[in-house]
Amino acid sequence: MAVATRQQTGAPGFARRVLTSDHVAGWLFVLPAVFLIALFSIFPIIWGFILSLQKASLISPNRPFVGFDNYTHIASDPLARQAAVNAVIYTCLFVPTSIILALFLSIAMNQKIRLIRFYRLAVFIPVAVSTIATGVMFMWVFDSTFGLANWALGTVGIGPFGWFDSPQGAMPSLVIMTVWGWLGFDAIIYLAALQGVPHELVEAASVDGASRWSTFRRVTLPLLGPATLLLVVWSTISAVQLFDEVFLITHGGPLGRTSVPVYYIYKLAFTSSYGFGAAGYAAALAYVLFVVILILTLVQFWLGNRVVHYSS
Amino acid sequence: MRSQRKGKLIVPAIASVVLIAVACTSGSSGSSSASGADCGQPTQLTMWHGYGKVIDNQGQTNYEAKSLTDLVDQYNAMNTGVCVNLDYIGTNDHALEKLTVALNAGEQPDITYQYGTSMPQLAGAPGIMDLTDKVQDPTFKWNDFVAGARDAATVDGHVLGIPALIDNLAIVYNKDLFKQAGISPPTADWTWDDFRAAAAALTDPSKKQYGFAFPVDGTEDTVWHYDAMLWEAGGDILNSDNTKAAFNSDAGVQALTTLQQMAVTDKSVFLDQQNTGKIQQLFNAGNIGMLVTGPWDLSSLPDINYGVQIMPTYPGGTHASIAGPDMWVLFDNNGHGEAAWQFMQWFTAAQQIKADSLESGHLPTRNSVVKEPGFLNAFDKKFPGEGLFAQNLANVTKARPVITSYDQISTIMGQAIVKVMLGQGDPKTSLDDAANQVNQVLAGG
Repeated sequence: MAVATRQQTGAPGFARRVLTSDHVAGWLFVLPAVFLIALFSIFPIIWGFILSLQKASLISPNRPFVGFDNYTHIASDPLARQAAVNAVIYTCLFVPTSIILALFLSIAMNQKIRLIRFYRLAVFIPVAVSTIATGVMFMWVFDSTFGLANWALGTVGIGPFGWFDSPQGAMPSLVIMTVWGWLGFDAIIYLAALQGVPHELVEAASVDGASRWSTFRRVTLPLLGPATLLLVVWSTISAVQLFDEVFLITHGGPLGRTSVPVYYIYKLAFTSSYGFGAAGYAAALAYVLFVVILILTLVQFWLGNRVVHYSS
Repeated sequence: MRSQRKGKLIVPAIASVVLIAVACTSGSSGSSSASGADCGQPTQLTMWHGYGKVIDNQGQTNYEAKSLTDLVDQYNAMNTGVCVNLDYIGTNDHALEKLTVALNAGEQPDITYQYGTSMPQLAGAPGIMDLTDKVQDPTFKWNDFVAGARDAATVDGHVLGIPALIDNLAIVYNKDLFKQAGISPPTADWTWDDFRAAAAALTDPSKKQYGFAFPVDGTEDTVWHYDAMLWEAGGDILNSDNTKAAFNSDAGVQALTTLQQMAVTDKSVFLDQQNTGKIQQLFNAGNIGMLVTGPWDLSSLPDINYGVQIMPTYPGGTHASIAGPDMWVLFDNNGHGEAAWQFMQWFTAAQQIKADSLESGHLPTRNSVVKEPGFLNAFDKKFPGEGLFAQNLANVTKARPVITSYDQISTIMGQAIVKVMLGQGDPKTSLDDAANQVNQVLAGG
């Protein structure tokens, strides 16, 4: 019936056909989202790239193009190198620590014991606490003179440590604080994965005489592969993008030991601490950071696909 | 079937239009509601400030915000055809960043509070009002403003701001801790050796008590504390035409050596790496004997019995202090520039400055107010200790260099100071190293 109608009306029928097709209805449904994404994601991405080719301060409209100078400058910038080294140190400490601890915690939380819901809630609460609150708390806990941490360690004869105040201690302190803050999230992901491990497989293994350890090693752990891959990728990306805690507590110090890429980019773009008119250079660094994260993620997925078992 | 299709189409079409409309309009309604009450005048001005809410989150009256609000309300009630809407934009530490974002969106306010050190950067901002000719109006009495503040407002001969606030540094000390330690309180002719000895005597690790405290986050807060000492020793930050570093002189090394001796040798200094208010809390809790700070801290010291004294000196030097002048910066938006200037003239006239000082505790930005008979007595009575700070404005004879690269120079100096105070470098080498970097910055423009 519809075919007949279209043939009769000719050219206007084309317009109607377009207007009434499912495609148009579909696009109209997603139009608000497309509009918002274009406005808040795609436009800034393009604008950021143009900015990275300019010598620009964000205040002045005078923004001469300098080609790829901003990109070539990165190689000779000791502060950019320092930020990159700090990011590597932080990521290498944060990702394995948080994932291994989360695995242990999730196994503990998977036991059938009294008050298990309370324990699960307790583990997850730090994730829900705002970074500001966590930051202020740790600032005092890790105070080298008045802090709880040094007092507690002092009672068993360890310390005192400088924590955030010492050039050697600031990065480990930051790792402890962020691991504490994100452990609950990782543990919940693992807990969900653990509860997805089919009972029959574990039972079958023990019937076959496998010890608890080898059941865990040979059956449970491989089945946690997808969750581990997710957490490794996710933690790495967030580790490389670390900002809040640094902005709030260490300000990149002492002596630049916690100056991480996003914090350095922020200082370049929005303050003139590293020179006036560095917003273009900051945009170039942000683009390099994006490419690095993209490559890291692709490598992790590629490696992951070789070792992760998706089916049970 | 066709009508059914039409119906299908109408739902998403309406939904998208509504959603986009909501997305577009919510932004504009948000910004207008933020700027406060409409007083029904034809010209509406927006004024950004960082003084907070009149009643703070603890339910206490914030007299800085109250004073500002009262003055603006008074102006709005004068029916001049101009209405000023106050907009609290959060801490002044980020006022420049917020203005940067607003400028990019074309949403800059007509009047904004900014740090004096941001003035060189703001010189290139589109629409910023050049007030050079306007301030010469004899009725405005520009030369009545404190000299250091006028210098900070002037970039390459152009006046780009009107002083909003002026501070200076002096010693604030805990009288009771001095009594307990059995030493006499600071005097007006103290040297830094006296200061160091007192700091050591006030330090008691068993009571977690320090003689002195210093922000070592490497920001301008670190640097300006050092700048004052550098000037007291007879040194300078840059040479007279701002082309070369001068802080690595003997005077500079002497000043930094004092800090090194106290922090590293005597361990009499609480070094605050985060600089987010710990020092004030500890001082108020009686854990620190002396601070070098400004009048803004006095209101956060309700629990101790404190005294104020001018800065120490070096043999043959001065008791120089340093001012941190902040500015009101005007933008000419939609031809409202004249109206903003009209308001600013009234707002920073001597009478309003005096009213603000007595309500908020701000030091007067105009010399005539300080000299007015009876003012200092009334001021110090209402805000104990502030009278000395007002008088100490006379010791503010120098300003930090008003150049675009100042922030960068400050970052470099900050790192050198922190390095020495954390015991990771010696004063001479660190300052020479910093001076080399600064010279490179200055040479590169």
